[in-house]
Amino acid sequence: MGQEEDLELYRLQLLESMSERPSHSGRGLLDPIQVYVNERRVGELRGAEIEATLNIHGVDHIETVQLRTEDGRLLGGLVAPESGFRTNRVGLSADMVELCVHNTVQGGSLSAVFIPAPSFWTRTRSLLADIVDRWRSRRPDAVMAYGFRTVAFTQALLAIAVVGLVADRVMIWMAPEHIIAPTVQAEVLRTASIGEIEQLAKQLRELRSMQTKVGEALQSQEKGMTLLHQTMARLSSTQESVASSVVMVKEEMEKRQESPERETDRPTQFPAGKGLVDQEQFEVAIHGLAADNERLSKQIAGLEEHNRMLTAKLQTAIAHVAKAVEQNPERVVAREADLSRKHQLVPVADSRQSTQGQPFLFWVTFSEGTTQESIDQWVNGMKGHKGAQNEGWQEVQILPPPVPPDLFLEQIRGEKIIKEARLNH
Amino acid sequence: MQNTLRKSHIIADRTATVSRLEEVVATSDEFDQVVAQALPILLDRAAGYTKRFLRETGQWNDDIEHEKFALRWGSEYLERFLVCGRTEVPCRPLFLFDSLVAKQHSRPEPFCYHPDLLKPLGRFLDGLVARAVVSRDALIALYHHSYGWGAGDVIAVTGLNGLESQRIYKNFRRWRESGWQRTMDEIGLTKMELAELENQRQRHRQRFNSEAERLIRVAQGHYRKSEPDHYPCLSRSQWGEMFSQGYGCDYRIWHLALCLDCMQTAWGLGSSGSSAGEKPRLELQVRP
Repeated sequence: MGQEEDLELYRLQLLESMSERPSHSGRGLLDPIQVYVNERRVGELRGAEIEATLNIHGVDHIETVQLRTEDGRLLGGLVAPESGFRTNRVGLSADMVELCVHNTVQGGSLSAVFIPAPSFWTRTRSLLADIVDRWRSRRPDAVMAYGFRTVAFTQALLAIAVVGLVADRVMIWMAPEHIIAPTVQAEVLRTASIGEIEQLAKQLRELRSMQTKVGEALQSQEKGMTLLHQTMARLSSTQESVASSVVMVKEEMEKRQESPERETDRPTQFPAGKGLVDQEQFEVAIHGLAADNERLSKQIAGLEEHNRMLTAKLQTAIAHVAKAVEQNPERVVAREADLSRKHQLVPVADSRQSTQGQPFLFWVTFSEGTTQESIDQWVNGMKGHKGAQNEGWQEVQILPPPVPPDLFLEQIRGEKIIKEARLNH
Repeated sequence: MQNTLRKSHIIADRTATVSRLEEVVATSDEFDQVVAQALPILLDRAAGYTKRFLRETGQWNDDIEHEKFALRWGSEYLERFLVCGRTEVPCRPLFLFDSLVAKQHSRPEPFCYHPDLLKPLGRFLDGLVARAVVSRDALIALYHHSYGWGAGDVIAVTGLNGLESQRIYKNFRRWRESGWQRTMDEIGLTKMELAELENQRQRHRQRFNSEAERLIRVAQGHYRKSEPDHYPCLSRSQWGEMFSQGYGCDYRIWHLALCLDCMQTAWGLGSSGSSAGEKPRLELQVRP
């Protein structure tokens, strides 16, 4: 039971603190505003009475932006769209924080601008400063000089205005008879000459044109100021990025310094090792070549020795042959004839071996009056077969003849029944 | 009979409020108005979702600690919804709220859960570190609660300059005045529980501190993820360069408060370097 009460008490306490939510009151005038993106602290806006800007760029999409006080109170924020822009103005008493989130495929960016509440004097001062700035050539880089100039000029202008007002009052007090009643004013106008009226009208026109010009000048100055603020914002973001880059570079340098030996030794050791390996390889190759060379020289010497022995044997054989020739010259001639015959027969035998597998075809025409019987007998005598007939020519297929084809055809042409013989039809 | 009537009235009111939450609100003011009337319903709804998440992830127990945990995170979600939801108009508040809670629960480790962090000491530490992530006052106060240091010690240890020093004093003052009490209320620590913690600290100092060190490491490990990505742990030489060259004030303040190990590593590099004695050990302080 006690626990349930405790829990209910806790719940009520939470609800109470939720419904109170004095969101702005917790912030002191000079306290910075903590900026959180996706519930991570990314920086702060140090805006007291001046404008302050915080620009964040990241590769991650921005989902939520929160503004918190130093004591952790949630002042405001926004939920960013998955893609595109979203802006929100978070009011902090009289001050304002303008949030602008832009999500793209590349990531998200946030621009948070603290805009302090402008007081009456601030507004007047800025108005006058704009006018002054229009009249004088403005240099964007001399921001400080610009501020001093504006303040000085404003003060001078205010002093003149106050003096003028006081003088006017004094004149009125000193000459009360000059105060003209409205009825008298109308009378004066009626009695006034046309020239005077025209002059007054002219003065009014001039005054109006001057007013218009002043208005235009104010507008252009407002634009100028907007541009200046944008430039300042860009400048501050650039400064931030430069500062972060410096930190990163320092970290990188430290990392490198941590392992200098490892990193510096590695490239020097590597070539040295490589050189040693190459040298060893060269030495091995040279040794191999020397051994080969030695072996080759030994072989050459052996071959030369063998050559000498062969030469000696040849000379001995020549000497023996010479002796034999001198003893029986007829046997030598007969042997030479046998040898030459053998040399002649070898190609024929070779050709027979090569053509033995294939039948020999040729075409013949027979002499007039040759009977079919005689033809058949001739073919049988040749141990062949008759093939196709064409235009009087008869194809004959026999076993390859032992003589060359031309000689064979010549022999056939010499036979009685053959008129002509050739290889192709 | 009266009870029954009262209950039926409450049910009818709740139904009407819920159906109003389901309708479209067109302006931020309308949103504020509708949501302000439905705070209890939204808180219970968020706590219910958190309970379901814990059940589904096997982290739930039917006890008051878990109920308080669910309520605490429900109120966190509700606070964010109150502020961010008004920028989503036109919308149907109830559906927007549901989607916001679902989005939180779809993240890896949406909150720091550890059974020991649900006990009074764990709740105290978890609440303190969780608050330090969103509140600079709490962050600076973490130095006091962890090591018992005052503003001057913090300035010396972190090596801050004059302008930052003034801020540290203000952080301490605000924490003492209201921050600590608000944090204790938010985490639901009763006066009795706080008194008991104080008692344990005095009677069993060593055991109390070693247990606190174990638990604070769990909490710090989780919540340090909320730091900017470029705030990792550094070596002593890196810390040394940062201190000597005077950059990275935020880095020093945020990281050293949320990392016991780096505090040991960077010990003595601040302006207290010359007088630095033994490295600091966790000496948990319950009161601000």
